[in-house]
Amino acid sequence: MNADAKPVTVTGAKRYSAGVMKYAQMGYWEPDYEPKETDIIALFRITPQDGVDAVEAAAAVAGESSTATWTVVWTDRLTACEKYRAKAYRVDPVPNSPGEFFAYIAYDLDLFEPGSIANLTASIIGNVFGFKPLKALRLEDMRLPVAYVKTFQGPATGIVVERERLNCYGRPLLGATVKPKLGLSGRNYGRVVYEALKGGLDFTKDDENINSQPFMHWRDRFLYCMEAVSRASAATGEVKGTYLNVTAGTMEAMYERAEFAKDLGSVIVMIDLVIGYTAIQSMAKWARDNDMILHLHRAGHSTYTRQRSHGVSFRVIAKWMRLAGVDHLHAGTVVGKLEGDPATTKGFYDIFREERNPMALENGIFFDQEWASLNKMLPVASGGIHAGQMHQLVHYLGEDVVLQFGGGTIGHPQGIEAGATANRVALEAMIYARNAGRDYMNEGPDILKDAARTCTPLKQALETWKDVTFDYTSTDAPDFAPTPQVSQ
Amino acid sequence: MQEAGDTLMDEEKATAPAATVDLAAEFRESGVKEILDELDRELVGLNPVKQRIRETAALLLVDRARKQLGLSHQTPTLHMCFTGNPGTGKTTVALRMSNLLHRLGYVRKGHLVSVTRDDLVGQYIGHTAPKTKEVLKRAMGGVLFIDEAYYLYRPDNERDYGQEAIEILLQVMENNRDDLVVILAGYADRMDKFFSSNPGFRSRIAHHIDFPDYTDDELFTISEGMLGEQNYKFTPDAEAAMREYIEHRRAQSHFANARSMRNALDRARLRQANRLFESAVGPLDAVALSTIDEQDIRASRVFRGGLDSDKPGSPKA
Amino acid sequence: MRVTQGTFSFLPDFTDEQIHTQAQYAIDNGWAVSVEYTDDPHPRNTYWEMWGHPMFDNPDAAAAVFEVNECRKAHHSKYIRVIAFDPSPGWESIRMSFIVNRPKDEPGFRLIREEKEGRSIRYTIQSYASDRPEGQRYG
Repeated sequence: MNADAKPVTVTGAKRYSAGVMKYAQMGYWEPDYEPKETDIIALFRITPQDGVDAVEAAAAVAGESSTATWTVVWTDRLTACEKYRAKAYRVDPVPNSPGEFFAYIAYDLDLFEPGSIANLTASIIGNVFGFKPLKALRLEDMRLPVAYVKTFQGPATGIVVERERLNCYGRPLLGATVKPKLGLSGRNYGRVVYEALKGGLDFTKDDENINSQPFMHWRDRFLYCMEAVSRASAATGEVKGTYLNVTAGTMEAMYERAEFAKDLGSVIVMIDLVIGYTAIQSMAKWARDNDMILHLHRAGHSTYTRQRSHGVSFRVIAKWMRLAGVDHLHAGTVVGKLEGDPATTKGFYDIFREERNPMALENGIFFDQEWASLNKMLPVASGGIHAGQMHQLVHYLGEDVVLQFGGGTIGHPQGIEAGATANRVALEAMIYARNAGRDYMNEGPDILKDAARTCTPLKQALETWKDVTFDYTSTDAPDFAPTPQVSQ
Repeated sequence: MQEAGDTLMDEEKATAPAATVDLAAEFRESGVKEILDELDRELVGLNPVKQRIRETAALLLVDRARKQLGLSHQTPTLHMCFTGNPGTGKTTVALRMSNLLHRLGYVRKGHLVSVTRDDLVGQYIGHTAPKTKEVLKRAMGGVLFIDEAYYLYRPDNERDYGQEAIEILLQVMENNRDDLVVILAGYADRMDKFFSSNPGFRSRIAHHIDFPDYTDDELFTISEGMLGEQNYKFTPDAEAAMREYIEHRRAQSHFANARSMRNALDRARLRQANRLFESAVGPLDAVALSTIDEQDIRASRVFRGGLDSDKPGSPKA
Repeated sequence: MRVTQGTFSFLPDFTDEQIHTQAQYAIDNGWAVSVEYTDDPHPRNTYWEMWGHPMFDNPDAAAAVFEVNECRKAHHSKYIRVIAFDPSPGWESIRMSFIVNRPKDEPGFRLIREEKEGRSIRYTIQSYASDRPEGQRYG
């Protein structure tokens, strides 16, 4: 067979004669296929091994992520196999990246169990990621049809109801992660929570690896934290919360911890991404049943989201998590210490917060996505941010976001309460200026300086962190530059 | 230390009044010129009104300049009274006035809320205050135009709720001068009577503008303009008929200047349509469809002593 | 103490002009501004008394400032807040809420600890003000 010839799907009995056949000939490459409204579409970035044709590689990905195996099997003929075959229907070279291709693959809805991220991912990012003819494979984006979206619960609480429960409107929420991450006793830990909340934060947060360790068992942490939360609430008249991390070794242990948090009056519990998709969905269901906000820390995601050529883009993880039903999810800060190019981060935030995502290649969004009234997730920005960046944070991240200043609260020279107050004053001043129609992005430093006149803690914060920036080249920037305006 | 010094200097600079003001430039840049030109261009006649508006604009412009130089600090009283017969352009001018005040920065939004007694006065105890306040709130940022304002006051009825509306109006006109401008409108004689029994209003009104009746020529020009807007035209004979119509109409009751013209033309178009329907054979061209004929005007009862609706017992047209 | 609920609580108390600025932002976004008051600022006291309906038809925030001042005349020693309702799909809730009037002395809240089995505690927050009957709580 001539390798250069255009691959054509073999039909009839010949298709099923025993032996090995190219994936593109088995029906996994259908350039004329028009995806149905109910199809799930995946966009992969494929890097074929040297000498492997891009179309054949795309067909192989379609095959391996759906019905195919390495050889022809006659049992296909017992099924409506043409329906179940995933179909690669478009392969484009990636701009400015020789050897890389975008492969569009459509999957019939019936290939997936309703309401199961585990089942979806077992196909889409299952065996196929280890497939030898590919050097690398990355799942860039997915189009989830409304018919499938509607089989998921979605965020347990959602931004609107979360705000109603917290009685907090019109400004980003403020949080801080208790530091040091490890080693504090329950009693000392609660002190940090109390000071930060009394000073003006809405939330404090356990770190991802605070579970139940010798220095602080989980019940101690919960008891002291809720004493701190309740005291702070009485001191300010505000609803306060602390993300109690209920991550544990078994589902039973997680439920036990979540129930205890609820009994103590917590408004929110927290889990880590590493507990797995099914556990996340279970906790989302528990959260909905128990009027609890569910915070998800994306611990571990960088192992597969960060590199551009291989893994799963965070925007896909974000879509899965919106389906799975978490309320909070970390999504980058743009200006802080962790990965996050502004255009790509905007794409993430849109997936979290919009009712509909139109295709926006400059933000890495490849498909129109309807969310069919699924609740919205609140993005959490944390990692190396401080009060002096408030104008940039409001500009890039908007109003519906939790801004988490860990070091930027606890590291304040006058203490935790002062650190919290500095952040709250900076935030309110910036929101005031934005609403008043000021060019707050450019006048930000002046706005903060003005606000600091009546707030010594803010003055000290601005002084302490004035030179802190994290300017590094992003490893996960979009492949497409913004389309230039014709008129310009 | 250095920094504190700089800040102080900046503040002084920011609050110190400017030394001079270029009135011509202010006039150009404020957009007032366009509005005055537009007024001249688009409104037929009304020369004394236009003159008064020009004067008012000049006064406000100078006042604004004085403020910039630190010579005046108070918002001038801007409430107005428009007197004149119906159809003399009071509402139209009020619209332009609100636009003018907006350009000059005396009202923030520049919209016009036009009301009469019924919108302000309620029918039972406790009804009026919320009603009046609702209207005032709607007008804030713009201009409140109260047509036939004297109906608010009914001296024959001591318990009339209009008095309550008047009190609230006066209060807001005094306390919220930055928030809205009130224009009272109506017949000159009745307005005078209203003011003499409500001196509080008289003292709060700074600008009185009288709207004269239109001349016959002006009314003809206005009616031509109205027709033109709807893509109709008079024939030469119809023009003559229209001029005659205006003479007759003025002498009859319920004459309302431009408004009477609009009504006359509405009826003329009705007759034209009827005429075309009954007489046309074969296809009609655009000219035929947009021509008002002599008979479309002359069929009016105005030529026979009065409008249908004026004659007792006559069926409604 | 100072009750710090709402969009702005850590900035110095607003002047009428500042209230106007913020209310105008809400109106320009298509939200209806409303005035509410209470003498029980418990964080979970959702339903403060409405001072009239939300202002759906007022293009200028002077209307909101006007109502704030009317409300102050009647309830000067209570908490008064301005809130903004967004009726757009997917929201249909409050988008802003800020306190514009507060009692001279804010007595704050008592934290009641109900000790349960083990070391568990059930917490209750109570406004000191609500010890007295409604209407007699502040000055």
